[in-house]
Amino acid sequence: AVVSTQSGLTSIGVRGKDSACVITQRKIPDKLVDEETVSHIYRVTKHSGCVMTGMIADSDMQVSRARYEAADYKYHYGYEMPPDMISKRLADIGQSYTQIAHMRPLGCCLIMIGWDEEKGAQLYRVDPAGFFCGFRACSAGTKQTESNNYLEKKIKKNSMMNETEVIQTAIAALSSVLAADFKPSEIEIAVVSDRNPVFRKLTEAETDEQLNILAERD
Amino acid sequence: SSGINAEWPLRPGFQVEYAIKAVENSGSVIALRGKDGVVFGVEKIITSKLYEEGSNRRVHSIDTHIGAAVAGLLSDARAVVNRARDDAADYRSTYQVPIPLKSLTERLGKYIHHFTVYGSLRPFGVSVLLGTWDETNGAKLMEIDPSGTVRGYYGCAVGKGKQNAKTELEKINISNMTCRELIKEVAKVIYSVHDEVKDKHFELELSWIGKETRGTHELVPQALYDEAKKFAEDSLVDSDDDDTDM
Repeated sequence: AVVSTQSGLTSIGVRGKDSACVITQRKIPDKLVDEETVSHIYRVTKHSGCVMTGMIADSDMQVSRARYEAADYKYHYGYEMPPDMISKRLADIGQSYTQIAHMRPLGCCLIMIGWDEEKGAQLYRVDPAGFFCGFRACSAGTKQTESNNYLEKKIKKNSMMNETEVIQTAIAALSSVLAADFKPSEIEIAVVSDRNPVFRKLTEAETDEQLNILAERD
Repeated sequence: SSGINAEWPLRPGFQVEYAIKAVENSGSVIALRGKDGVVFGVEKIITSKLYEEGSNRRVHSIDTHIGAAVAGLLSDARAVVNRARDDAADYRSTYQVPIPLKSLTERLGKYIHHFTVYGSLRPFGVSVLLGTWDETNGAKLMEIDPSGTVRGYYGCAVGKGKQNAKTELEKINISNMTCRELIKEVAKVIYSVHDEVKDKHFELELSWIGKETRGTHELVPQALYDEAKKFAEDSLVDSDDDDTDM
């Protein structure tokens, strides 16, 4: 199952002092595809969302389940399901698929970011084996080993990044690992932070701004 | 594990690869999303002269406002189309409005995906192309493949001639053309990717939904159908002439 998450795309998540972001590639296979329908970033609750890497149909199923679990939690407990609880629930479900004979593991890896009042911005990664963990930085997909190496060096230098630095690090990591300069339409970025705890995707203009900041810095 | 699916490794995507092969061996299906609607064209390969013309439909209506064209195992296709119709009827009964294409494709996608997850089930060997048009939102075209993946398109081709068809489709300025113009283009592409040697006889099935049909999915009227067929046959002859000149 871990092998099948190699969908050809790579995704990266980074968490700083008070914010977290996820970034993924956005490859549009050919001109005939309607670009508006291509996205791997999904909102799960108001303050959390995820990027899915791997088989698209399996990803949709997991996101649906995440949204359902979150809604159910809110109904039962009266408050929004925190990202660590969502991740734990999805991980447990994923684990059961590896153990139940007539089911198969889902071929997709989930990197979730979210914000809650108690812990602030958080970053979690859930893989098909049902393993999940909170991270300062993580990655999934084809270039995950290279990405992790790059991120380890950056986090070692500075683990208390502000929002802009978090986004910059994520973009720089993806750029470096894929050896590519991106156009705003080729990547998708989503952010949560103390400043703006609502999970949101950056618009093309905002992505462009971030790419420019990175280019000028170099 | 035992049972009919004992020999299939429960590796994600393994069974689905074979289901996708079933689709790739089917007659070509092409759909185009134009300015004012969606056009479907199917290369219905006829294996026997005894078959009645117009039977074994490959394009279906889901409710009145959604058209579905199918490729792959036709018995599986019937199951999928029936499910889509049930979903649409349910939605209308609950919400008193026709089901939006997005809702239908989400549900159908998850339904089809469901059959890829359990060991006791096998995936559908079908790809469905779904299209709709309405006054407010314009035209929309979506494809669901055997893995349950839902994608949106301006132009989509599945089946035998998929690769060649896609190359042809990229040359057409699809989103700026009207349905009337696109009907002819669809017919032309189907005729051009049809393999005369391997599959002698085929029937062309054309349907559309758009402004001209007031948002109802219908088979293309006979006059337009004949015009499109002639256009397609003529363009084949023209390209043959080019070949012989060389």
